[in-house]
Amino acid sequence: MDRAIVTSDLTKRYGNATAVDRLSLQVREGEIYGFLGLNGAGKTTTIRLLLGMIRPSEGSAWVFGVRVHPGALDLWSRVGYLAETPSAYPELTVRENLEVFRRLRRVGDPKAVEQAIERLGLGPHADRHAGTLSLGNRQRLGLARALLHEPALLILDEPVNGLDPAGIVEVRALLLELVHQRGVTVFMSSHLLSEVARIATRIGVIHQGRLIEEIDTEELERRRRRWLVVDTRNQRAAQSILEAAGFAVAAGEDGELVVTGERAVACPDEVARLLVERNVGLTRLSVEQEDLESYFLRLIGAARGGER
Amino acid sequence: MTGFTAALWTEALKAARSRMPWLTALGFSLAPLMGGLFMLILKDPVRARRFGLVSAKAQITAGAADWPAYFALLAQAVAVGGLIVFALIAIWVFGHEYTDRTVIDLLALPTSRLAIVGAKFVVVASWCAVLMALVYALGLVVGAMVGLPGWSLALAVGSAGQLVATAGLTVVLITPFAWAASAGRGYLPPIGAVFLVLFLSQVIAALGWGAYFPWSVPALFSGVAGPGVRDLGLGSYLLVMLTGVVGVAGTLAWWWLADQP
Repeated sequence: MDRAIVTSDLTKRYGNATAVDRLSLQVREGEIYGFLGLNGAGKTTTIRLLLGMIRPSEGSAWVFGVRVHPGALDLWSRVGYLAETPSAYPELTVRENLEVFRRLRRVGDPKAVEQAIERLGLGPHADRHAGTLSLGNRQRLGLARALLHEPALLILDEPVNGLDPAGIVEVRALLLELVHQRGVTVFMSSHLLSEVARIATRIGVIHQGRLIEEIDTEELERRRRRWLVVDTRNQRAAQSILEAAGFAVAAGEDGELVVTGERAVACPDEVARLLVERNVGLTRLSVEQEDLESYFLRLIGAARGGER
Repeated sequence: MTGFTAALWTEALKAARSRMPWLTALGFSLAPLMGGLFMLILKDPVRARRFGLVSAKAQITAGAADWPAYFALLAQAVAVGGLIVFALIAIWVFGHEYTDRTVIDLLALPTSRLAIVGAKFVVVASWCAVLMALVYALGLVVGAMVGLPGWSLALAVGSAGQLVATAGLTVVLITPFAWAASAGRGYLPPIGAVFLVLFLSQVIAALGWGAYFPWSVPALFSGVAGPGVRDLGLGSYLLVMLTGVVGVAGTLAWWWLADQP
């Protein structure tokens, strides 16, 4: 499969601070690549490097096989992007803002503006000055601008920032539609793994400027920790029985028993049988999975709580 | 410059939708209106005495209440006031992209950044030209209303040329402020630069070195130092051109080469 984005040892330094450190990643055409990191991890700097807004200190970035530089005009006609903070000309209406970019993006069809307004549900606000829009609607305007020229690649910096839950669902559906029906490639940054995991096919995790993990979303499911939670009428006896049977058992925060290990997760029925045979009344038996945010924090070595 | 026409259209729209054209027109209209007031005072000695200090100031700058003096006053106002008003236009045209954070949306487009910067400069120059025409037209109306003597078509045409040349020199000199607005990412750094340049141009002109300080040249050209004091050589004009070229080149280079926010 062809690569939409390739970076090779991409590095950006500001004085002694390294914002992006030897970042090498590949985004395949037609996939949704979630670029995950905490605030200040280097996501926005990477996106600006990919868009030629800042120059790399070392390394290079290639988009659709073209080395990124400010004069790659043909390349930019295939790329749509949304900056972290949605901006617009406050004295122009929504329609005028889009008309400005229809012309600058050299889109011949004047209907493209109306189509973008309709696609992002901006119809009721089309003749309002952009300066009076809510943050969510400014974000919609930014997305409409990014989609105006039917780009083959969308680079989105925190695209659901400021959107209400309904807006988040709409944007998610829109991105999935673009990918599945039009073959668009999406590179989107976020600091929320749960948000990215819903639509991304692959996830790259950046921390302190370095790409520390690249993982398929399916693999992510397998990597998350799982454990068995057990509650009984006699916790002490239950713990002894299970430990004697070779299970690793620990007491949870609320007094429950937490049984870890492949065997416990794969065979909770064995745990139930052992306890019932010894007349220990079982009141709860459930396999639980590490939530995505905990996994993310564990991954970047910054987990501060909630980790078992 | 790919996309120049599109860039020009969008820059013109942004300027037209802002309040800045009205504010700058209002500010610049003060020149012919105040000039007309001075002329009115000079025409009527009784009223001149009643106004005291204002009358004395009018005597110094305008000399007599006639069309040649009025046109000279307008040229001087354009030289000094124009530097401020024209610089504010350039600062707004470039600086608002940074304060509104819209510059990010202009950097990865099929329209070249150079076309966008070029279009901005064309809009600034056109805007200044319109203001210049406004000042001249308003000056004609005000002068006629005051009933100034000494009118001739040759004088009107010659004075128009003088005004255009003074404004042209001034417009060339504001390009570094566009650079400052881009590099300073907003309004405050270039406005500070304007004040600094105005201060220096006054001091340096007063010391007699004005011909060698580009921002003093338009004022000297307009005759602010007196009718006979326009001893500007070719070097002064070349210095003005060089400043303009440096301003344009610096702005283009900044938009093309520098890391953007």
